[in-house]
Amino acid sequence: MAKLLDKQRYKCALGAMQTVQAIDRALPILHSGPGCAQKLSESIGSSGYFSPNIFPCTSINEKDVVFGGVKKLNSTIENALKVIDADLYVVLTGCIPEIVGDDSGEVVSRYADNDKPVVYAPTAGFKGNNYKGHEQVVDAIIDQYLKKSDKRTKGLVNIWADVPYQDLFWLGNLRELEKLISEIGLTPNTIFGYQRGIQNINKIPEAEFNLLVSPWVGLSNMKKMEKKLGIPYLHYKTLPIGATETSKFLREVGRFAEIDSELVESVIKKHENYYYYLIERYADLFLENRVINKQFSLVSDAHYALAITKFLANDLGLVPAKQFIVDDTPKKYQEEISNEFKKLNYGIEADVAFETDGFKIHEEIKNHDYHGYPLILGGYYEKEVTEQLKGNFLNISYPVQDKVVFDDFYVGYTGGIRLIEDIYTVAVQRFN
Amino acid sequence: MSYKIAVGSSDGVNVNLKFGEVSKFLIYDIDDDIRFVGARKVDKRSLDNTNKADVSANCNSGCSSDNSCGNKGNGCGGEEGVLKLISTINDCRCVVCKKVGFQAQKQFEKRAITVFDVEMPINDALDKIASYYKKIDHHQSLRK
Repeated sequence: MAKLLDKQRYKCALGAMQTVQAIDRALPILHSGPGCAQKLSESIGSSGYFSPNIFPCTSINEKDVVFGGVKKLNSTIENALKVIDADLYVVLTGCIPEIVGDDSGEVVSRYADNDKPVVYAPTAGFKGNNYKGHEQVVDAIIDQYLKKSDKRTKGLVNIWADVPYQDLFWLGNLRELEKLISEIGLTPNTIFGYQRGIQNINKIPEAEFNLLVSPWVGLSNMKKMEKKLGIPYLHYKTLPIGATETSKFLREVGRFAEIDSELVESVIKKHENYYYYLIERYADLFLENRVINKQFSLVSDAHYALAITKFLANDLGLVPAKQFIVDDTPKKYQEEISNEFKKLNYGIEADVAFETDGFKIHEEIKNHDYHGYPLILGGYYEKEVTEQLKGNFLNISYPVQDKVVFDDFYVGYTGGIRLIEDIYTVAVQRFN
Repeated sequence: MSYKIAVGSSDGVNVNLKFGEVSKFLIYDIDDDIRFVGARKVDKRSLDNTNKADVSANCNSGCSSDNSCGNKGNGCGGEEGVLKLISTINDCRCVVCKKVGFQAQKQFEKRAITVFDVEMPINDALDKIASYYKKIDHHQSLRK
């Protein structure tokens, strides 16, 4: 984590315990100090069969720093297996055991023959943030649990998209992506959320291909699966929101899966007809130029920054000001992601900054001429600065305090309409 | 910077006594090397009355001498016994015993004395502790 003092937009890698929690009946076992889970679990919507308050934890202290904590880890795993009924146990290590050199991998390997799988993901905070931790957890499942399969199920596609809990809409988005994919005749397979869990993890090796819908998170997982399980992948960088991008998305997936283009086009046509019917009905609202702002800025992870910039520019015809990506995107992906912001319709290009310093972001927003009130879509931190500028604000990225989302989504045709509803709900309030 | 470590051992080789079982603490002085400086006898019978008031202030109703916990715990000798034992080694930076009870741990915590409950040869334990303190005193990483 580079110089992050306040306005934190993500958590440490151990935050990936939420990725584990999103897998039905999977239990994180934490090898960390007491309080880590408490600090990392403030998001709402994380109670249930397993919740952060009951995650088994070694609660290591000074003694374990001096003498090593492997004994405690072993007994914690052993007893968790006895008393907690789960389908998959994922041991996650925090900073302390990794600094002092506990060989957690060795301890976990003692449970290789256990009936229920036990895997281990190194998620020390100094290794990166929870986007990275999410990748580590998926990596652990691929490396330590999945085996190459000779069987291939025709049309079965593993879908990977959002980072659960970090992204407010993770559940709804995944379900909507599943729905879209099945409409063009494929069988979706995801591992997160209600009634997915271990049975879907077991199906991963049989898939025809992996579909990654994300600018960078998860790419290393796809490469690993290609190498180990022999599953090719399609990397679609933009989360498709609205008609323009979703139609593009369906065509590309259709091409990759060699699906009859007539079928794909008929699905697209059906959706677009309804989508534009709605847009047409509200054209009066869109054309009333006092309602909506002329320029907008996103302050979010690369996932939403890219997706919503494309949507607002291509579908709603707004002009992008500078966009801020705050997920500490690894350097090697930055250029490629910046280039995506240059591929907007009408030859429009958006300027993008990879910046984790909230102060600098706010200064830039204050100093930019938005040709009127700005439209800012970002984390809760942007609410105040937007209010100072008398702009319109929508809380779409972490941290979220303005919105409660159960299974709502922004992806696809319907998701695009939802986002328009949310933005205009804010915008019209100005005139009330 | 020199400091002392108190060890609970019956044979001078292994850490093999529980905190309450110790009748004399072995005291080691750590400077650049580890040096045994002598044993400190604990007189468990003479109770210090001034400490008693201190205890009841700490845990008012929960464990005053006339209810359940009494002062008759058979390990460390109840609250006065704990304080007596602790006062014997008040000047040490940490204490190393096979086991240390909850009450004693809390009292040590208040005095910023670290408790290490381990069962191993004294030399190994002291080496590990000394190298740990050396690193943190010199602001060095514990990374291996």
